[in-house]
Amino acid sequence: MTQLRNASQVGRLGFLSEQNKRDIYLAALEVLANVGMRVYHEEAKTLLLEAGCTLTPQDRVLMPRHLVEQARLCVPSVVNLYDRDGTLALELGGYNSYFGPGSDLMSTYDLETGAHRPSTLKDVARAARLCDALPHLDFIMSSAHPTDQDPHLSYLLSFAEMMQNTRKPLVMTAENERDLSVMIQIARELRGGAEALRQKPYLVVYNEPISPLEHPEESLSKLLLCADTGVPSIYSPAPLAGATAPITVAGHTTQGVAESLFGLVVHQLRKPGAPFLFGIGPAVLDLVTAQSSYNAVEYLMTYMCAVEMAKWLDIPNWGYAGTSDSQLLDAQAGMEATQITFLAMQAGSNLSHDVGYLDFGLTGSLEEIVLVDEFISMNRRLLAGIEVNRDTLALEAIAEAGPGGQYMTSEHTYRYMRAVQWRPTILNRHGRERWLADGGLDLAARARQKALDLLATHQVPALPADLAVKTDELIGAFAAAGA
Amino acid sequence: MSLFEDLKLNVEQGKKEAVLALVAQALDQGHSAQQILQQGLIAAMDIVGAKMEQEEMFIPEVLRAAKTMEAGLEILKPLLGVGDMQVSGKVVMGTVKGDLHDIGKNLVAMLLSSAGFEVIDLGINVAPAVFAQKAEATGADFLGMSALLTTTMPMMAATIEELEKAGLRGRVRVLIGGAPVTQAYADQIGADGYASDAGAAIKVAKELGAVKA
Ligand code: B12
Repeated sequence: MTQLRNASQVGRLGFLSEQNKRDIYLAALEVLANVGMRVYHEEAKTLLLEAGCTLTPQDRVLMPRHLVEQARLCVPSVVNLYDRDGTLALELGGYNSYFGPGSDLMSTYDLETGAHRPSTLKDVARAARLCDALPHLDFIMSSAHPTDQDPHLSYLLSFAEMMQNTRKPLVMTAENERDLSVMIQIARELRGGAEALRQKPYLVVYNEPISPLEHPEESLSKLLLCADTGVPSIYSPAPLAGATAPITVAGHTTQGVAESLFGLVVHQLRKPGAPFLFGIGPAVLDLVTAQSSYNAVEYLMTYMCAVEMAKWLDIPNWGYAGTSDSQLLDAQAGMEATQITFLAMQAGSNLSHDVGYLDFGLTGSLEEIVLVDEFISMNRRLLAGIEVNRDTLALEAIAEAGPGGQYMTSEHTYRYMRAVQWRPTILNRHGRERWLADGGLDLAARARQKALDLLATHQVPALPADLAVKTDELIGAFAAAGA
Repeated sequence: MSLFEDLKLNVEQGKKEAVLALVAQALDQGHSAQQILQQGLIAAMDIVGAKMEQEEMFIPEVLRAAKTMEAGLEILKPLLGVGDMQVSGKVVMGTVKGDLHDIGKNLVAMLLSSAGFEVIDLGINVAPAVFAQKAEATGADFLGMSALLTTTMPMMAATIEELEKAGLRGRVRVLIGGAPVTQAYADQIGADGYASDAGAAIKVAKELGAVKA
């Protein structure tokens, strides 16, 4: 059994009672059994019907409860991810929480000039290398979407850049099972075979059904390919409350739970025990501005319900952190990105992405990634909790100092200070004089400086030459076949 | 409150029963269908449009107001002359091939139809040839395409080509939108109009409509 870390005594914010969780689960089962879902993938449909689902005259698949229960028995509670070198990096499950950037941002705030411009493949590489350098970002997504490349090669080319620019495990989006299968082939080359990749997963694939209650051909093809190859798969819908999902938090959660569980059943029927991540992208359509908010307070509430449901189901979860709806890295961004990140951390959301998102998931900021890394660092310290024992109670030190004494030279201080005092890297703890002398910069400017410094100095060991050649060959063959 | 004030308020608040009763009452009192349409129903929707722009109304409230207005209009239709009721235009809409994001398209479609356009919604994942076929078959004035993915945006250009091939480009005005789409892209592929949100989409469609007329 994998021993999970981080299971401290710290209290967590809970929104759902045990009874609430049961009610949501039962409501989701009712949606599955009585409303049904539309499945646009013939093989998956056959798999479901043969397992005991039924088809209505309106072409909806109705799923009986026992199939969900069976899948829950099969699905692993912990999913381990390994880095590029094959070292265990992330243990997804329990209250472990890990963070990474998002994917596919179409615009980027240029780090050098501050200009808002279309994202390029170079942005994918830079984000990966920056996140490789930042200690509190644990996995990598593309961050940017390379608008300067052939769209059908964009995910594959991003994958190759990410592999070169970070050792951390990857979470990938893909257009369909064709480009995904090339990614998996490359990952097999890296690991030295199909079985080796199955044993030590290097990438996770982000698949999504379409709310409400539809499962497109591409999503299911990718999901089945993941089940077959042992590549962990996320199956997380993005129901937009008020547009493609109920407006109430309970209804929003219920529909999302049902949609994700539907994918779980398909996945576990295909390959019992294959690694799976449950999740809900609890988006909210602002019914006045028509923007899809990542930070509305109702979003945060449904998100927390989704994490609580994942714990209740005992399935690792996919989540969100470090996002802001703001148009730039301002005080709003600071407020929103840190609130969602803190909620994710305290809830023990396992694999949280989208760090560095601005503008409703359309614009990226490397400075924001640096800021959130600092915030995660600080709050990992906070949530590690407080150790209370004879030595930390410091009775001896207190007696030694006595009335009117001091602790600066105490042995106790000396022994504990580096472990107890968390050090910021960009938050300001200087007085006015020193701060002015250092240029009088605000936090965003210091984050920018840190990003520039890291990008100028941080090196990622090169991939073996033969692997780089093989990767180019596989992508070349894919491009040629497509044309 | 005067009868017309009452009617406008009830349209704005989406109270269908009250609107039906008030329209009937107005007819009883001898007001013309044309007057009830202009000073009641359309005037109400003008207020709704303004409130939407000022972010005082939620979109579902706007949509309900539009539905309510339509219900009132049903009573008046048989009494109105041909010239009294201008349809703003016929729009064929869909998301382009490969694109399943339809929330924005649905919103634009709903608001266009509340603004008096006749909308034929082809749904999602619409191939260029299908767009062209439907535009031809329905005699559409506009073709609206939505794309949210950079991978699917090129389908917009492909659809315009298809329209050209079918000899429809002169008749059908092309509107495009979706998060990655820009005015520059619209210019590049030769679309007639671009809008960044549903409110702007209506304005652009109306402007283009006026140009043709
Ligand atoms: C919700 C959502 C989804 C939902 C869609 C549900 C649905 N039924 O539509 C789901 C979860 C299914 C989904 C799937 C995917 N998505 Co998505 N999704 C979004 C999200 C968060 C919001 C979109 C939305 O609905 N916004 C609200 C509506 C109201 O706004 P709108 O669509 O922009 O429409 C307005 C205007 O653009 C305009 N407009 C729109 N259409 C038209 C048409 C005309 C004629 C006119 C005039 C105007 C106009 O008016 C509208 C109203 O104001 C966006 C991020 C974003 N902020 O855009 C990502 C996003 C678009 N998705 C993205 C991606 C990558 C994907 C996937 C590939 C992910 C995957 N892992 O597989 C799949 C692709 C599926 C497919 N083949 O289409 C990327 C795209 C990146 C890129 N470079 O292309 C984005 C930007 C997020 C991100 N950064 O990762 N997604």
